Amino acid sequence: MPKIQFINPEEVRKAGEITFNPIPVNQYNKTVEEEKANFSNEDLIRIFRDMVIIREFETMLNQIKIRGDYNGIAYNHPGPAHLSIGQEAAAVGMAYTLGVEDFIFGSHRSHGEILAKGLSAIDKLSDEQLTKIMESHFDGITFAPVKNNFSGSAKEMAIRFLIYGTLAEIFARETGFNRGLGGSMHAFFTPFGVYPNNAIVGGSGDISVGAALYKKVNRKDGIVVANIGDASMACGPVWEGLSFATMDQFNELWEGDMKGGLPLIINIMNNQYGMGGQTCGETMGYKVAARIGAGLNADQMHAERVDGYNPLAVIDAYKRKREILKEKRGPVLLDVLTYRYSGHSPSDASSYRSKEEVEAWEAQDSINWFGKELVKAGVATEAALEEIKAVTGELITWGLKLAIDDKVSPHMDMEKYPELIGGMMFSNESVDKMEDRKPDVNHPMEENPRVKQLATKERFAYDETGKAHSKIKTYAYRDGIFEAIIDRFYKDPTLIAYGEENRDWGGAFAVYRGLTEALPYHRLFNSPISEASIVGTAIGYAMCGGRVIPEIMYCDFLGRSGDEVFNQLPKWQAMSGNVIKMPLVLRVSVGSKYGAQHSQDWTALATHIPGLKVVFPATPYDAKGLMNAALQGTDPVIFFESQRLYDIGEQFHKGGVPAGYYEIALGEPDVKREGKDVTILSIGATLYRALEAADILQEKYNMSAEVIDARSLVPFNYELVIESLKKTGRIIITGDASARGSFMKDMAQTITELAFDELDAPPVVVGSRNWITPAYELEEYFFPQASWIVDAIHEKIVPLKGHVVKNNFTENEQIRRNKLGV
Amino acid sequence: MENIFDIAILGGGPAGYVAAERAGAKGLSVVIFDKRALGGVCLNEGCIPTKTLLNSAKVLEYAHEAEKYGITVGEVGIDFSKIMKRKDKVVRKLVSGIGAKMKHAKAEVVMAEAVIKEKRGSEITIEAEGKTYKAANLLICTGSEAAIPPIPGLDKSQILTNREILQLKELPKSLVIIGGGVIGTEFADFFNAMGTKITVIEMLPEILTGIDDDIAKFVRAEFTKRGIDFHLGAKVTKLNGKEVTFEKDGKEEKITGEQVLLSVGRKANVAGIGLENIGVEFTPRGVKIDKNCRTNIPNVYAAGDITGFSLLAHTASREGEVAVNHILGRKDQMRYDAIPGVVYTHPEIAGVGLTEASAKEKGIEVEIRKLPMAYAGRFVAENEGKDGFCKVIAGKKYGEILGVHMVGGACSEMIWGACALVEMQLRVKDVQEIVFPHPTVSEIIKETIFEF
Repeated sequence: MPKIQFINPEEVRKAGEITFNPIPVNQYNKTVEEEKANFSNEDLIRIFRDMVIIREFETMLNQIKIRGDYNGIAYNHPGPAHLSIGQEAAAVGMAYTLGVEDFIFGSHRSHGEILAKGLSAIDKLSDEQLTKIMESHFDGITFAPVKNNFSGSAKEMAIRFLIYGTLAEIFARETGFNRGLGGSMHAFFTPFGVYPNNAIVGGSGDISVGAALYKKVNRKDGIVVANIGDASMACGPVWEGLSFATMDQFNELWEGDMKGGLPLIINIMNNQYGMGGQTCGETMGYKVAARIGAGLNADQMHAERVDGYNPLAVIDAYKRKREILKEKRGPVLLDVLTYRYSGHSPSDASSYRSKEEVEAWEAQDSINWFGKELVKAGVATEAALEEIKAVTGELITWGLKLAIDDKVSPHMDMEKYPELIGGMMFSNESVDKMEDRKPDVNHPMEENPRVKQLATKERFAYDETGKAHSKIKTYAYRDGIFEAIIDRFYKDPTLIAYGEENRDWGGAFAVYRGLTEALPYHRLFNSPISEASIVGTAIGYAMCGGRVIPEIMYCDFLGRSGDEVFNQLPKWQAMSGNVIKMPLVLRVSVGSKYGAQHSQDWTALATHIPGLKVVFPATPYDAKGLMNAALQGTDPVIFFESQRLYDIGEQFHKGGVPAGYYEIALGEPDVKREGKDVTILSIGATLYRALEAADILQEKYNMSAEVIDARSLVPFNYELVIESLKKTGRIIITGDASARGSFMKDMAQTITELAFDELDAPPVVVGSRNWITPAYELEEYFFPQASWIVDAIHEKIVPLKGHVVKNNFTENEQIRRNKLGV
Repeated sequence: MENIFDIAILGGGPAGYVAAERAGAKGLSVVIFDKRALGGVCLNEGCIPTKTLLNSAKVLEYAHEAEKYGITVGEVGIDFSKIMKRKDKVVRKLVSGIGAKMKHAKAEVVMAEAVIKEKRGSEITIEAEGKTYKAANLLICTGSEAAIPPIPGLDKSQILTNREILQLKELPKSLVIIGGGVIGTEFADFFNAMGTKITVIEMLPEILTGIDDDIAKFVRAEFTKRGIDFHLGAKVTKLNGKEVTFEKDGKEEKITGEQVLLSVGRKANVAGIGLENIGVEFTPRGVKIDKNCRTNIPNVYAAGDITGFSLLAHTASREGEVAVNHILGRKDQMRYDAIPGVVYTHPEIAGVGLTEASAKEKGIEVEIRKLPMAYAGRFVAENEGKDGFCKVIAGKKYGEILGVHMVGGACSEMIWGACALVEMQLRVKDVQEIVFPHPTVSEIIKETIFEF
């Protein structure tokens, strides 16, 4: 809560009532004849054509899936095909007015939207632009089959390119729009403004909001349309995305040209079913999905239901809503009513709806109806429309033949290039700034109060005599993170940061103290308490080309952004065939002292998911260097921090934390203390307990321990550890995560394989118990302590003369606990 | 400050007193509890008293057979009460010897029932006779006692176990032994020699489970010759005083003895000692230990019969040593591959390692060689008209000695040598290079090994 806003009890306690404005439902009532003033005949015919293309494309896929052939061409497509036969008018109407710079996001059922937006973009792009786009996409790999098998005008070529690229993608061909790595549910083509569709229901509900944020913050032209299903309105992340999109601060706190709402249209493609569940009458309670808008902000999101069976009604709505967005009064919510004749997927027997219902909608089929209207209005003859259908049939047949031809459209050659997909998991680029322009800041960095204060601090924890500096004088872990981040804010104009309490509070743990002074609202702001939207919007922001630091205040809240962290963030770089970059650093603070739901180390959840980089620095020097490297990269990095460490000074790096810029490469562990008898590999804050254990081992048992700080978990270079084992032959791996299924276990297993010959004893994991984290007063029984490490060495690796253990590391207890699952 | 012992030992049997001795020798402070007598079952009601009795039987046998060796003796007779008195004297002497050893080890001996109370951090509390003792380590070795199965009609006052039979005042005229294991067979041998009519009822198809099949068969044939009746595959279904009813091949038979000995196995003494107070994992079969003889609780060890596994005095002693070594931080671990098994019947049985049957059961490919004891000159010289054999089992692939099993003469005295071969995993060709003294009965091992 910013101080400038005053919550006046006199005001907020007053009696009153909330009134709502009527929400328009299917108000459009013009005829084609009447619209002839606004559309040329070509425009109207093109609308018809686009609908026909989508219908034929989807019909072809339906026949391939159900019968295994189309027009006599046999093919087996084992993958998914969620088709939208019946929804064509809604898709074409949505896309018709959109410019190339307008982005659409979609769902699992978005072939129609891709084609509609692609066709719309093709119509608006010049021949030169089209040729350039086609020639440059994957250096012409997608275009080559089109060029070699068709010749025509640039626009004709582009239509073929669109059909072919989409189809090849659906069939997992390397020549597809995303090298076949996206497939039916993730196909997209950004040069035409088609951004990712999403196989997770409602997945675009927050990502698209981030795209709109990108447009706004970076002053980009265009709007963003989120095509999501009516059933996805029940998904938490969609609701969170809507809450984020309608935050008051855009109007109340953002300043200058940044003041005003997001250029976003939430376009509910309301086909009235979520798989087989009827959203009206069964699985939802809104009756009319447009009602949702009224619950989100005073503008009711300018919500309205539009008849999606009339393309002109949808176009009309988009023309009107665009004006609202131009006036920065967004976002807008549209409930575009439509219907699909095809099943949820081809295996769907439609047991949940009656034949009569489907037939009733088919009787009002938008293509037939619109065709008749065009003939009635004298726009086209019936024969001309039939000709369009015939040409479209040929077009789709041509595309199918080409896309299933293994010679022309091969799958990725995994025999020849077995690591092709591995090579696409990360982009691994080093980029100072995502865009070259002057960053929006409030004052020069050297005038920043925190920066000035840091200049006076001791950058090493101890003085020359080895005495620790006072806490107030010591440059701490949080300062290392701050320095890296503020530096990047002054370097990269696209960088923004947000999360809970990120602005006035200075971050819950004071990492951002001072940033509020340096940055305008649109670069640093408080999000709603809504982790799905924090991460989801950041993903949308990053995939559009901006750099972003979302923050999860406690690691325990990671689950609240589960789909975003596990399904979205890690996957889009590879699923796009590396078209998309993901320069996103997710700061995650690992708690302590706050019990079972505020003190968990969930690094294992992040390391398990391919496509995420994961680091966990334990010192100010490493924190700054790793943050610099993370922010310099173009990959998603989960940046774990520990609340036990924010105050800690630099105890290892000679000369302290450098004031200037430096990077620590992700993936490189670091020897924090050399030794020769046993190696202790630690993750995160446990480093200091490992060092304490090393002291005990040295003093009491004359055993010298080498302490290695993992620093990074993904990637991780095992060579340093193996080198250490050549000396010691023994290793303990320790960290604060509950031991079962932890990354420590993964390390132990990898080390066993890589260094079996060096090992005198099995690698031993000393993690937290497989319990709830108890209260702070009992934490010593839960988190690994120095004595645990010593006991584990004594019990499992080598007996320490005269050592009496306090903690239970017996084999039988290990078996017993495993039997009990604790 | 309160005295904290380095190690508390519950039970003064072969696990406990040996552990106390070893720990004391290394300077650890020890407290050892026993509710009955130092020495445990082994010394007081097991190994030692039975061996004393069996030696009387042996002397008797010599006397009867003196003629064969050209010696004339007068009338041979038995004084049962003298035999029993001598047994008591031997036991007393050895028990007092253990007391001296405990003194030497500076171990505090508490002759009382002890209960484990709690464990806080590394401090374990034990209570005995209202007094508490604290220790950093605990060795639980409370042993086992004769198992009393739920046979209908069983009246404990009417039957004997190994404990009561050793206190008999009068030699019974007849003895029915339920259970033909090692204990039952040894008592059968002794009382048979004394002239008692013996009947052995065994549930399994052969006596001496775990012993090499050929040896068991050999001994049973020998005993049958001496007049012992065996009922194999016979299940006792009812007891009525000293009348034993058993079922064999679907038929019911009854037999009554002047005395009835129950020797069907042992039961670990896990109850009433406070295992649950510190969370030691156990079942009625015993306390689970790992290779260091640790229970699931750190600093808490178990050894001997309480583990429910390898119920032998020498196993117990070795386990106690392993526990002490672990406490001392010495690298040591328990191995069960070379634990010898000995039956002190006449003839004696001694074996170590895999038997033919256990190798087959484990699916280990082996080669087997067997020679009569008569191949050893000394055996022939000293055992007129007697027989026996030696059987060696070696791995097929590497020829490592996996088992040695003997019957005949005093073979128990030379089995340790075979133990060394198995423990050291020596191969046939290695053993062939070892010089055995001539003439000794032990040469039979080398002779058999040369059969490979």
